[in-house]
Amino acid sequence: MSGPEMTLETPARRYRMTFRTVRSLAYVSVIELGTVWERTLRRARIPVRYSQGFTPRPRMHFAAPLPVGCGTEADLLDVTLTEPMTPDALLAALEGAAPRDLYIVAATPVDEAEPALSEQLVAAEYDVWLREVDRDVVQSSAERVLAAETLDLPRRGKDGKTYDLRPLVLAMDPIPDLPAPWSGLRMLLQARTGATGRPDDVLTALGFDTAPRRCTRTRLILETGHSEEER
Amino acid sequence: MRSGAPIPWERVESILHLVQKPGRYVGGEYNATSTPWDAADIRICLAFPDLYDIGMSNFALMILYDLLNGSPGMLAHRTYLPAPDMVAQMRAAGIPLYALEDYRPVADFDILAISTAYEQLFVNALSLMDLAGIPVRAADRDERHPLIVGGGHGTFNPEPIADFFDVFVIGEAEAVLLELVDVMRANRNMPRRAQLEALLDVSGLYIPRFYESSSTPPDAVQAVVPTDGRAPSRVLKRMLPTLPPTPVRQLVPNISTVHSRALVEIMRGCTRGCRFCQAGAITRPVRERPVAEVVDAAIAALDATGFEDVSLLSLSSADYSQIHELVPGLLARLEGRHVTISLPSLRLDAFSVEMADTLSGGHRSGFTFAPEAATDALRRRINKDITTADLLAVAEQVFRRGWRTIKLYFMIGLPGETDDDVTAIGDLARRVRSLGHRIVGPRAEVHVSVGTFIPKPQTPFQWEPFADEATIERRQELLRQGIRGRGFTLSWNTYAMSQLEALLARGDRRLGAIVERAWQLGAGFDGWDEWQNADAWNQAIAELPSDTLRADFATPAALLDAFVYRRRKEDEALPWDHLESGIAKRFYLQEAQRSRNSELLADCREGCHGCGIQQAYAGQQTEDWRCPVLR
Repeated sequence: MSGPEMTLETPARRYRMTFRTVRSLAYVSVIELGTVWERTLRRARIPVRYSQGFTPRPRMHFAAPLPVGCGTEADLLDVTLTEPMTPDALLAALEGAAPRDLYIVAATPVDEAEPALSEQLVAAEYDVWLREVDRDVVQSSAERVLAAETLDLPRRGKDGKTYDLRPLVLAMDPIPDLPAPWSGLRMLLQARTGATGRPDDVLTALGFDTAPRRCTRTRLILETGHSEEER
Repeated sequence: MRSGAPIPWERVESILHLVQKPGRYVGGEYNATSTPWDAADIRICLAFPDLYDIGMSNFALMILYDLLNGSPGMLAHRTYLPAPDMVAQMRAAGIPLYALEDYRPVADFDILAISTAYEQLFVNALSLMDLAGIPVRAADRDERHPLIVGGGHGTFNPEPIADFFDVFVIGEAEAVLLELVDVMRANRNMPRRAQLEALLDVSGLYIPRFYESSSTPPDAVQAVVPTDGRAPSRVLKRMLPTLPPTPVRQLVPNISTVHSRALVEIMRGCTRGCRFCQAGAITRPVRERPVAEVVDAAIAALDATGFEDVSLLSLSSADYSQIHELVPGLLARLEGRHVTISLPSLRLDAFSVEMADTLSGGHRSGFTFAPEAATDALRRRINKDITTADLLAVAEQVFRRGWRTIKLYFMIGLPGETDDDVTAIGDLARRVRSLGHRIVGPRAEVHVSVGTFIPKPQTPFQWEPFADEATIERRQELLRQGIRGRGFTLSWNTYAMSQLEALLARGDRRLGAIVERAWQLGAGFDGWDEWQNADAWNQAIAELPSDTLRADFATPAALLDAFVYRRRKEDEALPWDHLESGIAKRFYLQEAQRSRNSELLADCREGCHGCGIQQAYAGQQTEDWRCPVLR
């Protein structure tokens, strides 16, 4: 993490942006969300560093792809700049540059030597709200899934092959006190390279694949023990 | 009927997990208007009746969106036609078509302006109205429904869809639409008939209700004449003597679309005069935007959008007279911004290759040429002024500059074409490939794309017949035999869909019954291989689904012959004669004769050939026009 000499007024070249997405931006792919960010940074005239080569790419890295259909309360994006900026200047420049459903919550300087966000990610927490599903059914289905030894689910795009979802579900609890007609589950899913649980697959295992839902990633948990909620 | 409230987000959200690419249906684009509904006293929904992915790339809609939202008291939102999976979910959930800005039902707007840019959109326009809960026939609507306005190149023969629209904008909509909106604002509480009568005061509007098709002889196509003394017998397209400013705050999609980039129109119209080309003719006179204005607009649009690419639009970029200053000037201003410039519609010459090379920045995708025909003789007939020798010289340069793929566009079924002309396409492709093989090695590729020629209204070929199925299939087979093996790909259009395009392009008002019937039978998305429904169209044609059609045509074959396969007589009235682009019919007849004589006609910047545009808009010429000054 950031060294002890760094404060919020210290200009830095690598930043960790904390952001929320709602509504329209819950329905974009991770590549599209990257483009949304790229254009937002360009509108804000932030001096983003680009890679070399015929097709230079901005140096931007998400912690983890957001599934299509899922918004976020606290996702992370690391951005590298060509020249140092203070967090205040960065946030001021971004004012008004983001589309309606992207909210930039914080910009935190990060040590340039720190490993990529995706390498630090351990788990992600999702709140999945469901319509037209009875709370008791939610509760009993969650218990059934948690009690299972294995949960074989089809792998995406790989005909016939399956994988075991069960070890990727670290925790799952009903969310109490949601306004009608919602019921919901908070799920903590493993998120390591090559072993990432997807909320859609959990819903399939629960038998709720067609239920109308609102999915929000609420927390990313990094290896250092740091999480967005603790900020 | 107006419901007065947006559709709650929760209802929209409830079906999104059931469809492909849900980002098409949720809006949220940067630069979308945020003017409150109640802050406007007249509201327009702009619609592109195809997928969001296509419609978001349509510059005409962008121009009108910017223009209307910048006008006091007006509000414009947008809608597109959802894919079939979303349509099914919306119907199941009882959700009508809504505009993307804040999910207002389309039926709540005062005006619904639907792009009729090309024939494949026609039946989709009906799907769009129906999904909005609006009756598709103008006769079944009244002032409680939005006024339905069509516009775009397809309105140069709108007769096959005249029964479904209240008004068509003929020509450039920028000026006309604002006048139309003002008239509607002043007459908002009037009956629909009175609203339409008031709109007769706006020039450039064609209001089909005030016209009828003449009826003799019944098996010929029908000319259109006014039934109301106040309606003009001919509607001359509206044309802006100076190009209006480019919109700067262009919409930025959040999802991937066909083209997602800043757009600046550098020129409107074309002086080349290819005889098959409707766009080049109906957009005359050629007007150029001054280079300084283009550069400033490009920079402003990039600043306001954050796009990574700016595309300079025109029908023929290399013909922009200041292209030599424009490209280096803009490149200099964009230094260090990580932004690229696209210059579509380049010409087949050395300068265009050099320019493409400069702009590519070392990145090499395919290089595209459109020779249209493979022999010098046939190119003379269509007035495409390039020789095979020139083409090969340019192809050699392209390979020498490092491209490995050349894409070639051709048409078959052209007037005067023989089987030998089609065999020559394969020969030419092989010559290009062996050039490439010599220069860049075995990875050289030639992609050949072959469309079927449609004789379009408002062109010198408007009297020509559409090629019959046996001819086209035989020539497609010649192509398949001639273009195969390593390093070649070949693509072509299915005959059924080309025939349909010809029918819709060349039809008259009686075809409305067929359009409606095909739509009822499930036709839609005619431009999409995975969704198009040739059976629905065939059945609709076979049914001859109106009393008039059954009275006038003994068989479906007779109908197709009348509209599609018959050579039209040069002195017969055509169903689009009452709509004028400003080009004189006399000029088209001269051009048709020159085509038969295999005569080229030079670019008209060099000298006026008297197409009629200067007379049609006498006294309006500005220094931005590229018409030679007449003495």
